[in-house]
Amino acid sequence: MFEELSNFRKYLPSRKSFRNMTPLARRELKSGMAFLTPWIIGFFAFTLLPIVASLIFSFMNLSITDGLLSPPKFVGFDNYVTLLNDRQAGVDPRTWINWFSSGTPTSMGVTITFALVSLPIGILFPLGLAVLMNNPNLKGKMLFRSLFYMPFIVPFVASVFLWGGMLNSETGWINRVLIALGMAKEATPDWANSTFWVYPTYTIMGIWGVGNAMLIMLAGLQSVPTELYDAATVDGANGWHTFWKITFPMISPVIFYNLTLGIVGVFQYFLVPLVVNNGTGRPGGATMFYSLYLFRNFFTFQDMSYGSTLAWFLFIIILLITFVLFGTAKYWVYYAGESRS
Amino acid sequence: MKKKLLATLGLLIIASMVLSACGAGAAAGPVKIRWFVGLGTGTDPAQVTVQEEVVKDFNASQDEIELVLEIVPFDSARDTLSTQIASGAGPDIVGPVGWGGSNDFYGQWLDLTDAIAATKFDTSIFDPALIKFYQVEGEQVGLPFAVFPGAMYFIPAMFDEAGLAYPPQKYGEKYVLDGNEVDWNWDTVTEVAKRLTIDVNGLNSTEEGFDRSQIVQVGYSAQWQSVLSVATFYDGAANIYSGDAKGSYESTIPAGWQDAWQWYYDGMWGDQPFIPTGPLNAAPEFGNGNAFNTGKGAMGLTQTWYTCCLADLAASGTEFQLGIQPMGADGEVNGRIDADTFRIWKGTKNPNEAFKVLSYLITTGGDKLLPTYGAMPAIPSKTEAFFKVKSEQYPFVTPESWDVFVQGLAYPDTPSSEQYQPNSIEASARFATFFDLMNNTEGLDFEGEYAKLVDDLNTIYNK
Repeated sequence: MFEELSNFRKYLPSRKSFRNMTPLARRELKSGMAFLTPWIIGFFAFTLLPIVASLIFSFMNLSITDGLLSPPKFVGFDNYVTLLNDRQAGVDPRTWINWFSSGTPTSMGVTITFALVSLPIGILFPLGLAVLMNNPNLKGKMLFRSLFYMPFIVPFVASVFLWGGMLNSETGWINRVLIALGMAKEATPDWANSTFWVYPTYTIMGIWGVGNAMLIMLAGLQSVPTELYDAATVDGANGWHTFWKITFPMISPVIFYNLTLGIVGVFQYFLVPLVVNNGTGRPGGATMFYSLYLFRNFFTFQDMSYGSTLAWFLFIIILLITFVLFGTAKYWVYYAGESRS
Repeated sequence: MKKKLLATLGLLIIASMVLSACGAGAAAGPVKIRWFVGLGTGTDPAQVTVQEEVVKDFNASQDEIELVLEIVPFDSARDTLSTQIASGAGPDIVGPVGWGGSNDFYGQWLDLTDAIAATKFDTSIFDPALIKFYQVEGEQVGLPFAVFPGAMYFIPAMFDEAGLAYPPQKYGEKYVLDGNEVDWNWDTVTEVAKRLTIDVNGLNSTEEGFDRSQIVQVGYSAQWQSVLSVATFYDGAANIYSGDAKGSYESTIPAGWQDAWQWYYDGMWGDQPFIPTGPLNAAPEFGNGNAFNTGKGAMGLTQTWYTCCLADLAASGTEFQLGIQPMGADGEVNGRIDADTFRIWKGTKNPNEAFKVLSYLITTGGDKLLPTYGAMPAIPSKTEAFFKVKSEQYPFVTPESWDVFVQGLAYPDTPSSEQYQPNSIEASARFATFFDLMNNTEGLDFEGEYAKLVDDLNTIYNK
């Protein structure tokens, strides 16, 4: 893939080949470029420029204090040194472990803990649903697919507000039902206000929108050639064997895709803690996710340089994890028809 | 051919730029004064239209100054103004802006003392207490324009049902509780609020068997107040930091404020609750933070601006009235006044002309601007028109109730509860986190969290 990207020039017409083009092909190329130009300008102005600017900011001391933009000065790696010593950011791996015992969560520790809780569920739950949807004995497949997919089209913020209401520890109907079933008020979960329940609460909110992941998994399941199952049946394989020896390898690229997106998503996790817990890190700092900490520094405290440093560190972390994931892919992801040298 | 054309075009552009630059220098016209709107209210399209009218009126009224309006969306206003000031191209006038917005630009506002003297502006049109309200470190950095005094909003029907007297409507009046005359202070408010906090079975907070898990009506809510304003109401205004340079700053939150927050916390999470907890307050049934407007809050202490947002309450047929702000433990009324005004940037090249515009905006221009901002005039002679509009909006509110606001002008919080703090944005965010924690945490280690707050503030102030 990377080789192809680096050889992108071969896809562009050379000056010579442009001259050799027919007038019609030349006109088509010009039209194509004309249609692409707005996007390219937009990309440079609104994506590439801010990316480069934030990288430059991370080596400067740019911030707004008392309404004054500090005169930008080059400070080298000072911001990165500050980041390494920032107890709240917690980029030092030792602090990820310490925060359980010291009771003062770090942002990276919070993000990783939440990833450990929510990622397996975020992958396995839609996979389980897709397997159910793919069951030939299931009646009303279309209806179930629509029902499971439907929450995905509800705007995310709206769904977070809905869940916030349902899981409200005082007036939410989930606790009301638990009380009606005989649970003491004191024993009902405090959901988003409890350090124990807050990650399950966020995970439940996330599960509601797994319709898209379920559909992708289902498409993967349906692309598995049926003759493989027929052959397995003839060989006497049971359901468990069939799943692990045929289904899982065949849909492993889809799982890999969802896992990659899931990991990237969890490191950028931001909206739910901002809306549900007001972005304050409550309870006890357990929701001060890395992205939220970044947001507070950049936009609330207007420390553009340190905010940019946090952003670039996040980018590096995600990039490394993605590389590791791609590195491990050859051991567990099966691409039919691919030859490995 | 093409090259020639391009060269000619280039020359023409350069020539026109040179000519226009020369022209700008040579032209002798009116002084241009820029009016920056966006740090507070004023960006709504309807408000923009009115502001444009005011600009037109001002420009038509004289020929020495040309007033130019600059509207910047609220979300980007702070950054835009910061950048303009940093580049030395700040606007002459900024506003309307409250204390919070002003403090984000602490030290950037012009002392108006000289301009007031030079133009012989008559400051006697304002209450002297309000003039003092805008004095910071011996400088007169603003003049009163729009004020938002506080009052205790209450729902009479709930008091009737509980057999309780209404809050007094004249400062100095006593409250009658169980046949005895008592001061309208926080102890009285607490007792009354407990009796007005009702559970699903109709029991109040003081009664045996009260079910705190199913509260359907709360006695008191600090409607849209911050942790600093809660303490100011309870114990009075105070400087919350000392020191004059980085390294010397120290948090000096008075002990009475700690008591105020403990009282507030106990009001939510104590044995006899009377203030909605964070989760209850955030519930849709309680208006997502706007409990009084849902008709489920018997009392709410807040400012004049809250009259903006009681449409649901009025539409439901629920009437409200206004009582005086309670006294603190020392017998003094610890009121609060929110205020919006216009500021002059101290880097302005034309301070006298800018002051002429400012004095126009807060007097003549105010007649059009105040109604569109929904603000009470700081000039007493103009208040009648304001309350006429409000009476049309809420016909059931009595003149005695509206008068509570006028009386409230005598009780400003000096220094404001939105006072400046070093590294103010981060310090304010830290206070907000503390308040959020109080609102949402049962069994909080209050002493520990308070100590942590003070520690963090000392770090933030000296960053």
